[in-house]
Amino acid sequence: MKKNLLTIFSTVMAVSLTACGGASTTGTVQDQSTQAESKTADGAASLTIWSPTDKESVEKWWAEKIDEWNKANPDIQVKRDAIDRSDSYAYDNKVATAVTSNSLPDIFFVDGPQVSYYAANDIIVPLDKYFTAEDLKDFVPSTVAQCTYDGKTYAISATESSVAFYYNKDMLREAGIDVDDIDKRTVDNPITWSELRNIAEKCTTEDHVGTHIIMDHGEGIPYALEPMYISQGKDYINETGDTAEGYVNSDEAVKTSAFLAQLIADGYANIEPITDEFLNKACATMLGGSWDVATLTENADFDWGVTYYPVSDDTKKAVSPCGDWSAAISKDCKNVDAAGKFLQWLMNTDNVATYAAAIAKPATRNSSYDTESMAAYKDYPLSLMVEQLNHTAVPRPRTPSYASFSTKYAEAMSNIFSAAASDHKVDEAYIKEQLDSVAADFAEDYNTYYAK
Amino acid sequence: MSSRTSSIERQKLIGKILFYLGNFIIGIIFVSPLLWMLCASLKPEAEIFANMNSIRTFIPTHASFNNYIEVFTRLNILNVLKNTFCYIALILVGDLFLNSLCGYALAKFDFKGKGLILNLVIALMVLPMEAIMLPLYIEMSQLGWVNTLQALVIPFIPKCFSIYMFRQFFSDIPDELIEAAYIDGSGHIRTFFSIVVPISKTVYATVFILDFVAHWNDFMWPFLVMTGEEKRTIQLAVQVFFGTQPVHYSAIMAALVISAVPMILMFIFMQKYYVEGIASSGIKG
Amino acid sequence: MIKVNNVKNRNEGTSAAVLVTPSVFLLIAFLLVPMIYTVYFSVFRYQIMRPQDMTFINFENYIKLFQDKDFWQAFKNTIYFTVVVVPVQTALALGLALLVAARTRGVAFFRTMYFAPQLTSMVVISILWTILYNSNPSTGLINSMLKSLGMESINFLSNKKTAMNSIIFMSAWQGAGYQMMIFIAGLQAIPASQYEAASVDGATAFQKLVYITLPGLKSTIKYVVMITMIQAMKLFTQPYVMTKGGPQNSTKTLVYYIYTEGFQEGNFGYACSAAAVFFIIVVTMSLVMKRLTMPKD
Repeated sequence: MKKNLLTIFSTVMAVSLTACGGASTTGTVQDQSTQAESKTADGAASLTIWSPTDKESVEKWWAEKIDEWNKANPDIQVKRDAIDRSDSYAYDNKVATAVTSNSLPDIFFVDGPQVSYYAANDIIVPLDKYFTAEDLKDFVPSTVAQCTYDGKTYAISATESSVAFYYNKDMLREAGIDVDDIDKRTVDNPITWSELRNIAEKCTTEDHVGTHIIMDHGEGIPYALEPMYISQGKDYINETGDTAEGYVNSDEAVKTSAFLAQLIADGYANIEPITDEFLNKACATMLGGSWDVATLTENADFDWGVTYYPVSDDTKKAVSPCGDWSAAISKDCKNVDAAGKFLQWLMNTDNVATYAAAIAKPATRNSSYDTESMAAYKDYPLSLMVEQLNHTAVPRPRTPSYASFSTKYAEAMSNIFSAAASDHKVDEAYIKEQLDSVAADFAEDYNTYYAK
Repeated sequence: MSSRTSSIERQKLIGKILFYLGNFIIGIIFVSPLLWMLCASLKPEAEIFANMNSIRTFIPTHASFNNYIEVFTRLNILNVLKNTFCYIALILVGDLFLNSLCGYALAKFDFKGKGLILNLVIALMVLPMEAIMLPLYIEMSQLGWVNTLQALVIPFIPKCFSIYMFRQFFSDIPDELIEAAYIDGSGHIRTFFSIVVPISKTVYATVFILDFVAHWNDFMWPFLVMTGEEKRTIQLAVQVFFGTQPVHYSAIMAALVISAVPMILMFIFMQKYYVEGIASSGIKG
Repeated sequence: MIKVNNVKNRNEGTSAAVLVTPSVFLLIAFLLVPMIYTVYFSVFRYQIMRPQDMTFINFENYIKLFQDKDFWQAFKNTIYFTVVVVPVQTALALGLALLVAARTRGVAFFRTMYFAPQLTSMVVISILWTILYNSNPSTGLINSMLKSLGMESINFLSNKKTAMNSIIFMSAWQGAGYQMMIFIAGLQAIPASQYEAASVDGATAFQKLVYITLPGLKSTIKYVVMITMIQAMKLFTQPYVMTKGGPQNSTKTLVYYIYTEGFQEGNFGYACSAAAVFFIIVVTMSLVMKRLTMPKD
């Protein structure tokens, strides 16, 4: 028995040690690959890129493009590391830890609203030299705005995103709603909040709720809901990005939050929606992302449609979300010119088009839509997303305190929604109190680190 | 007389039936998440979150291995398993070896500073990884260990838990047993390996299982210190599917089932030694 | 302690040094040093993205910390979780251990079943239970069962009154298998002869449990309580995945607070001050526990 155990144990260990031995040697050779060793042996520059791991088509795109570049440019050799993030916070952690040891990769991808956070902290460098105002004219305005901080361009994105109002036509018809009317809406005449509420009310039954509000307790909430606030009259934060007081806690914001909370209090939307609630026919409508088109086309066994982001009854101002991951050059990059040159190529019309097609998101370059890979965007429903991007998209606040703001705001909204769900009524005083604390926390963060 | 035996036998039989039935029912409840995971991994994406209101969610009506095929095509699963087993095996070798020695000294030797070390071990037992992550990372980067196997292994060899557990176990070993070995002329190290280790299989098996499980489920640290596909560990590999929009839970569940299989095998295998260790130790019971 | 022979006495100190040094050295290097670093950072204003601008600000972080009601809430939640989960989980683990302590055929199979939740990562368990706990009877398994029993549905995770208890229930279920393993070892260490003698005297199963099993498990129970408590104090994954600390801060724990403040929001210096306070609490707690579990030292 004893021998047995020892033999097995030592065999397992011996085998794994040999195997790992190999691994660790290769480990040390490529070792500090992330730490900018700017030149390879033959004097060529070498660049490392970090971007989140994505679906197979995207991984393939990267492999092909990098290969193509490396063959054409022996003097600038590029390597990409796919980052297996669990959520965007985890990815930010990895960036943060790399910052502390000055071992950021040369180029890395950043989620839209984080651009200003990184720019303000000098983690990323301006790209104006590589992307002039003239170059940027071809990009949709929303992405240019999102990637600009303090008047300079800090990142460049190949893809955009949008959110629109999806509806299950079968359920709407059953509830006696005029589906044709909704189908015919245009960007100048979107449905209003009261219409949304009316649909949600009529479509709420034993088996499903009327609508769906994003409940990820994270970045999804500020992202998907911001247009509601802007449409009502006040954004989360002021234009210059230095105060939230009188914005996120304004009367308009309280009213907007109350409208959303009321949907939950009345049971028209679930406080804990299941994953793919709309696809699983557990809700009749939803504010869903541009990426949901692909999922629904592939899987939905019901008749569905999508229309423009709803507007406030008071202002009728059409607004829609936007923003996506963008490429930026890090402060630790030793060869900014090489990195800039590479990004110029990476973000050319064809590459943007093929990348956008691979990742199934709208492209940022107008010229890309003329290529074959983006053909699907010429027609409904995807054309609707492009239309929103060109006409109604507003980027998330550009402020260095965005990371802190986003966490606090998502938390406040979760509190407001859960209180509404538990009490079956909306308490505006409580909403005001929650939003006041978001504004106060924003001021605290901004004044501590960024106020001049 | 004969009716008495038969009533005792009947009682025994009822006891047995109760034992198996009771255990079976509670057991099913306990493994339900694994069963759900298994069922979900066989379902097409659109069906996973359907029927969540009834027991039917545990029945894959359109079962197929498509999700597994997807996992195997997306990942170099053998390489992932090799990476994971390697680093955990290295941790465990160091863990079982060094910490048991330390625990032994703390249990059976008198020396200066013993109280201090014991206090240190106990005090550091509760340190949450989340609170020391960044300084530890800085240390790794100063040592030049970022993106190497060292960063995954060496910081996790010292384990207060293991030391404490070994110390508690070794304290219960009768001194006479060890003294007998000294009288035979064995030195400390030899006594430890020839007398103490063979009767301590239970504690080794317990520490092995618990630490293996803990590291198998590690995500944040490997994520921070390792970059690159060829260095992926199992939990990082699972994230590949979480990071892909839209998130396909079907593939995630398949990946999770694949990741759970080695653990279950390991547990079944180690448990045998764990039990036999107790049975054959002779000093306990 | 070994007292008799001189072989040992001669070089006990040296041998002990050889035995403990490697572990203790690594312990200091990779646990104590980072811990000291954390405490060191706690007196600086330190935005995680700008380490170059670290400024010494004395105890400012601590002053802010003690005025932060979220911190106190997290503190209370952590204590509540620990105080409730420890007895529940220990009792459950003991119950399971009693079920499968016998060396009968098939017992290994049942042990594996009870240990199974441990073999799945906490993240997955949390995702699964979020689904099971779903508030709507038409999408949540537990609420649909409640409904068929004619009961009101419960917003398990989105009501501040039930969220923490829901997490406690799930955690006890997930963690019990681990402590069960330790109890099994403890149970098998109780001499069978004691039970035999009791049987001869006509003791009932319950009497055996109270007069033989529980006293025999005294040190095991202490040990299990201690390790359960240690794990409970570190609660993080469950609220992170299931509730993000909400609703209304009801599931925000100290480690969760440290993590979100430090990494998500970037207030690293401030988070370190929370971590330092946490260290003081848990170190004190462990040393008290040590007093109780190891009286002879």
